[in-house]
Amino acid sequence: MDDKPDGRNDNPASVGRRDLMIGATLATAPFAKAATAQVTATQEGMTGRTEVSLTVNGEAKRLSLDPRASLLDTLREELALTGAKKGCDHGQCGACTVHLDGRRIASCLTLAVQADGCAVTTIEGVSPEDGSLHPMQQAFIDHDALQCGYCTPGQIMAAIACVREGHVGNADEIREYMSGNLCRCGAYAGILAAIQDAASKMRAG
Amino acid sequence: MSDMPYPDALRVDAFDKVRGVQRYAADNARPGLAHAVLATATIARGTVRRIDAAAARAVPGVRLVLTHEELNGLKPPGFLMGGGYGFQSIQPITSPHIAYRGQPIALVVADNLEAAAEGARLIRADYAAEPHQVTLDAPEADIVAQADSPLPKPMFADVKAGEADAAYAAAAIRIEADFRHPPQHQNPIEMLSTVAEWRDGHLTVHEGTQNAEAIRHGLARQLGIEPERITVLSPSAGGGFGQKNSLQAHTVLAAEAARRLERPVKLVVTRAQIFHDSSFRPASRHRIRLGADTAGRMVALIHETDSQTSRHDLFPTQYTELSARLYGIAGFRGRERLVRTDVQTPGYMRAPYEHPAAFAVECCVDELAYRLGRDPVALRLANDTTADPITGQPYSSRYLAECLRRGAARFGWDRRSMEPGSMRAEDGSLMGWGVAIGAYKAATAAAIARLRLSADGAVTFSVGVHEMGQGIRTAIFAVLVRRLGVEPGRITLEIGSTGTTPQHLTAGSWGTATAIPAAEEVCDALLRALETLPSRLSLAERLRAAGRPYLEVEVSRRAPGQPEAVMGRLTSGLPAAMGPAYPGYVSFSHVAHFVEVRVEPSTRRIRVPRVVSVADCGRVISPRTAASQLRGGVIWGIGAALREVSEVDVRYGGFLNADLAEYVLPVHADIGTIDVEFVDAPDPRLNAAGVKGLGEVSMVGVAPAIANAVHHATGRRLRALPIRVEDLL
Ligand code: FES
Ligand code: FES
Repeated sequence: MDDKPDGRNDNPASVGRRDLMIGATLATAPFAKAATAQVTATQEGMTGRTEVSLTVNGEAKRLSLDPRASLLDTLREELALTGAKKGCDHGQCGACTVHLDGRRIASCLTLAVQADGCAVTTIEGVSPEDGSLHPMQQAFIDHDALQCGYCTPGQIMAAIACVREGHVGNADEIREYMSGNLCRCGAYAGILAAIQDAASKMRAG
Repeated sequence: MSDMPYPDALRVDAFDKVRGVQRYAADNARPGLAHAVLATATIARGTVRRIDAAAARAVPGVRLVLTHEELNGLKPPGFLMGGGYGFQSIQPITSPHIAYRGQPIALVVADNLEAAAEGARLIRADYAAEPHQVTLDAPEADIVAQADSPLPKPMFADVKAGEADAAYAAAAIRIEADFRHPPQHQNPIEMLSTVAEWRDGHLTVHEGTQNAEAIRHGLARQLGIEPERITVLSPSAGGGFGQKNSLQAHTVLAAEAARRLERPVKLVVTRAQIFHDSSFRPASRHRIRLGADTAGRMVALIHETDSQTSRHDLFPTQYTELSARLYGIAGFRGRERLVRTDVQTPGYMRAPYEHPAAFAVECCVDELAYRLGRDPVALRLANDTTADPITGQPYSSRYLAECLRRGAARFGWDRRSMEPGSMRAEDGSLMGWGVAIGAYKAATAAAIARLRLSADGAVTFSVGVHEMGQGIRTAIFAVLVRRLGVEPGRITLEIGSTGTTPQHLTAGSWGTATAIPAAEEVCDALLRALETLPSRLSLAERLRAAGRPYLEVEVSRRAPGQPEAVMGRLTSGLPAAMGPAYPGYVSFSHVAHFVEVRVEPSTRRIRVPRVVSVADCGRVISPRTAASQLRGGVIWGIGAALREVSEVDVRYGGFLNADLAEYVLPVHADIGTIDVEFVDAPDPRLNAAGVKGLGEVSMVGVAPAIANAVHHATGRRLRALPIRVEDLL
């Protein structure tokens, strides 16, 4: 072996995982609409823009994007919806969790073009119009299910999906189905309690 | 006012955090923002012979590429532990010298993130590589005895009490064992992120940090401008855990790029790069010799350590400051050595010395209990003390025995059978119950606190402390509400950002013991000032009756025994904390952890279904956030004991598993029940509020409690972390 396991300069010691992960996601992603998105080459050459239509928190958006842009970066940088967080950009932490057509996804691993024509819900879109909180948000407050709060939007989006998927049968099932969302502060006990609490209210409501 | 427990209250910033509106540095998104990405070195040591940025510069949208050829005018930040501000002394991209794999070699700035990332990938360098070494198994020439090093004394002198070697030699029972702790990374979920912006010659930096004042003064030094021309904003950090305790290497790069482009620049260090671009917990090894008499009285403890540092800095260690204090052992000798390796300078990670030290000592104490046939809780209670063995001074408060007794009762310890392998769970797995104690110095920093009451009843409070999830905002609210009777909705806190009061480093568990007494004192000062005004029902009415638009008071506060001169350090962004030894007493927080492990008989998978932890952190100001912090510390202990290791490949240097899939953090499914309790007894000697510290002590002792439980389940003594399935096969 030579002295350079990976000639690239962004990740000196691990071998091209980002490429592998993105490749894998594209290969398995159910959102085949990416193929229909229009890529318009402009005088800018490689950064040709792509037209993408999204419904974000109920609002129709038409965007002209770099085709390499992730859904996460698009939400945060283009739409200033910074509730979804970047904790790894590799699909490994869950901080970027949003709902795409009702399903939870890692928005950092989803290209914005893959979401063309889809409905995206972010943390900014879960509370009712009247300014009250979603039962899951309220339960996170009530059970102190957070510390620094950085993972929290992702945890809440995952938790809402977890309830809707019906994976809240017992504590172990919740823990299993929430294990894609890391909390370095260690708010896991509070998150579990919050989900158990909110699950019954979501069912009732 | 330390005589009344504080009521349960909600976390004050939770409402913003659950709606995703709490702003972190990288949430700064607006038109015109340029995005920067680092390119990093692919050798472990040597020199950049030639760097080729042409391809990067040609990427559409790329506006600026900075290499050492452009940045050689930037000054180094100085090392945090050597009178400077940086996590290490060197500033990457200012010279062709490469000190470690992953060191930044270029910064690429573009109109959008995708173009910047593409540009960074296209940076190519030719290197002249030199031999490197990255483990503790270093040649003698790379091993530095701390006592003989230039590090300041007595702070980093060897810790000694009595005649440890003679007492050990004469001891009836002698335990000797070696322990190994791997390098680990803090990995707060918020990545290192900076948005830098210049306006009319004034630099504003948005960055989640534990030390805004060091960023400000360090950048001033690096950029050659007055600190008055820099503002650092960190209203909320997405976790710190020691990583964000100083000026990071990337911050000045963002500032310099913004200056050159005349545009705000956002630089988010990637997760992989963070493993090399910021500090980490160094690898360490520990030799323990513990001597006791046949009655179970510990008479001698010798603790010798080797701990990793970089080639360019001596990151000092204080493992033995803790091991000397866990028990009342008359004979103690510590010896700490540093091992130079070709890495970025390691640094502080939650319970930096105390967690590895307690792991080593507390495993040996458990072994002693088995040699004596003595219950591990009873043995610990029998060796408790009221005086500090090193200085001979009393502890300002020490409720360790209380922690042990309450914890044992809560856990049901009396149902434990002593024999290893003697307890089984219903599902047939081996069950082990283990105990260990922890302690952490109760330090205090100097502070200035300012309080303003406006005639409309609004209160604005500022003190040097940073919110990074520990709940300090909630604790300060609790004090202001109690002291002033003000509605929480009328309180504004100005913390974590420069330009108000000096924003001293928040670390070492001194945040609460610094901010809370200062808050109480400044409230008292306000109330005294109001006494001169006409008496009315409410404080604000008094102001209005006197025709005053507002009243502002300020107090300066030093730790007990701190000299006046420390205020100069405070205002220049240097560490200004002291402890655990104060004039007349020594202060520590204490904790006892009780752990149940289950070992699956065939796969040997280790689970931790149940932990009980009881802490003595003085008066608890915010019971709800304190409980969360204690649980979080326990989870850190579980991670450190069973999961976390930063893998090193001696051939290439750097850290191999530089992402969150391969650096395994505890996840939901790893965590069972964590039952916590506080003694909640004030320590009025340390400060009138009676508070000590909690964030770090909460982790200390968890790992040895787990190792001791694994021994109880399996009969195996495992002395290298993390403990893995293969260790039990
Ligand atoms: S940022 Fe998407 S999973 Fe971590
Ligand atoms: S609350 Fe800090 S990472 Fe979860």
